[in-house]
Amino acid sequence: MGNLLEHMGIEKDRLHFSWISSAEATKFVDVVTKVSEAVNALGPNHKLVKNAG
Amino acid sequence: MNTYTKKIRELASNLLKEGKVDLVIGFKEGTVPMATAPGIARTPEEADGFVWDANCSLNLTNYLTNKKEKIGIIAKGCDSRSIVNHIIENKISRDQLHIIGVPCTGMVDKNKIRGLFEDEITEFKEEGDVIRVKTGAKELTIDKQEYLRGNCRTCMHRNPVIHDDLVAEPVVEQKLADPFKDVKAIEAMDADEKWNHFENLLSGCIRCYACRNACPLCYCPTCFVDEANPQWVGKGQDPTDIRTFHFLRAYHCAGRCTDCGACEDACPMDIKVRDFTRKLVKDSFEIYGWEAGLTLDQRPPLDTFKPEDPDDFIK
Amino acid sequence: MTEQKTKIVAFLCNWCSYGAADLAGVSRMQYPADVRVIRIPCSGRMSPKFILSAFREGADGVWVSG
Repeated sequence: MGNLLEHMGIEKDRLHFSWISSAEATKFVDVVTKVSEAVNALGPNHKLVKNAG
Repeated sequence: MNTYTKKIRELASNLLKEGKVDLVIGFKEGTVPMATAPGIARTPEEADGFVWDANCSLNLTNYLTNKKEKIGIIAKGCDSRSIVNHIIENKISRDQLHIIGVPCTGMVDKNKIRGLFEDEITEFKEEGDVIRVKTGAKELTIDKQEYLRGNCRTCMHRNPVIHDDLVAEPVVEQKLADPFKDVKAIEAMDADEKWNHFENLLSGCIRCYACRNACPLCYCPTCFVDEANPQWVGKGQDPTDIRTFHFLRAYHCAGRCTDCGACEDACPMDIKVRDFTRKLVKDSFEIYGWEAGLTLDQRPPLDTFKPEDPDDFIK
Repeated sequence: MTEQKTKIVAFLCNWCSYGAADLAGVSRMQYPADVRVIRIPCSGRMSPKFILSAFREGADGVWVSG
C-alpha cells in the first residue's frame, strides 16, 4: 500500500505501520513521537483531500 | 482465413459435437473493422463464427466467474494466467474447463492505429507480421510489432500456461532487457511530479468503469465504488474521487494482475490505466519473486505468511 | 504549547497498541498530541479503504499499529 501511494505521489512518510504489544508503553510513546515528527516534517497534506476545510 | 481461426473453429466444434463442453467462449467478428466481440457457441454450427486476429484483446476469463456449466474457452498467454487466478480464487474449477490455448504474438493498439488516419478505418487485414489497414482515403501497410499494445511489448508469457489444446506450436518468448522501464521512469520522479503525472493521466477519466468491467479480477458482487453506506468514494467527476477509484481498483489487483491490458483496451478515453497496476506487478515480482497466474500449486504471496517475508516497513 | 496543525489518524488494535496507549496514559507518559486514535477490534480489521478515507477527509498522516 505504502509503495503504491508513494508511486502515486503521496510521500512515503505519511503512512506508518508498527507493531506494539500492549505492555510496550515506552515503545508506543517512542513510535508516536517518530510518526509525529515525520509527518510534521512534511507539513500539511493537500493531496487526495476531498472535504478540506 | 488464417490458420488460427481455422483451428479454433475446428477444435471448438469438435468439443461441442462430442459433448465435452456445454458452450465455448471465444471471439466473434465485431460490427466494425478492428473490433471483435466476445461470443458464445452452444452448437457446432455456431462455432463457425469464431475468429482470431490481432484485435482479440479482451480477456475472456471475465465470463467464467461463478459459472456452473462445462466451458470451453479460448485463451492467450495472459488470459490463461487469469484463468489460473480464477481457479486459485475458487471462482471456477479446473474440471469445468477445457482451455483452447492460443500462442499469442501480441495484440495491436487500436488507438495508435486509428491515430494514423483522419477518417474511419474500413478494412483491417493481418498478414503475418504486417497489417494492411484501409480507410476511404488511403491504404497503409504497417509493421505489427511497432503497433503492439504496451503490455504486449513487455509480455514475457505469450504461450498459455495451462491448456488442454493448443491451436499452434508455442511461439518464442520475448527476451526483455528491462521489462519495467516504464515503471522506473515514474519511480524516478519526485512526489509532486508523480502526483502531477497521474493528475494528467486521469484528467480524461469519465468514470465509466469500463476498466473495472473489463478486468477479469474485478468480480466483487458489489464494488467499493458502488457501496453507499459508508460511501468510500464520491460518484462525481471530482479529481479526488477519480484518483481514489483508480488507486483502490489497482490496489485490489495487487499480486493478481497478469497485465493482460484489458483495462486499457476498454478505456474509451485512452487512459493508460496500467501505470497503476504495473507498479504492483513490479513490486510483487521484486519483493516476492511472484508473477501472477503461473501455477496452480502455489498460493499467492499476499494470502500466505512466511517468516522470511520482508517486514522493513513495520516499525 | 505550540499550535498543533498536523492531524495524524492512528488505527490501533484493541489488544495491542490500544493497550499500549492506555498503559502509556496510566503511566503518565508524555507524547505528541497530534494523533487521533481510532480503535479497531484487531489489525485484521484494517482495510486500504480506511487509509484512503482518512487521507480524503484531510489527514496529514496515517498510522496503523497492531
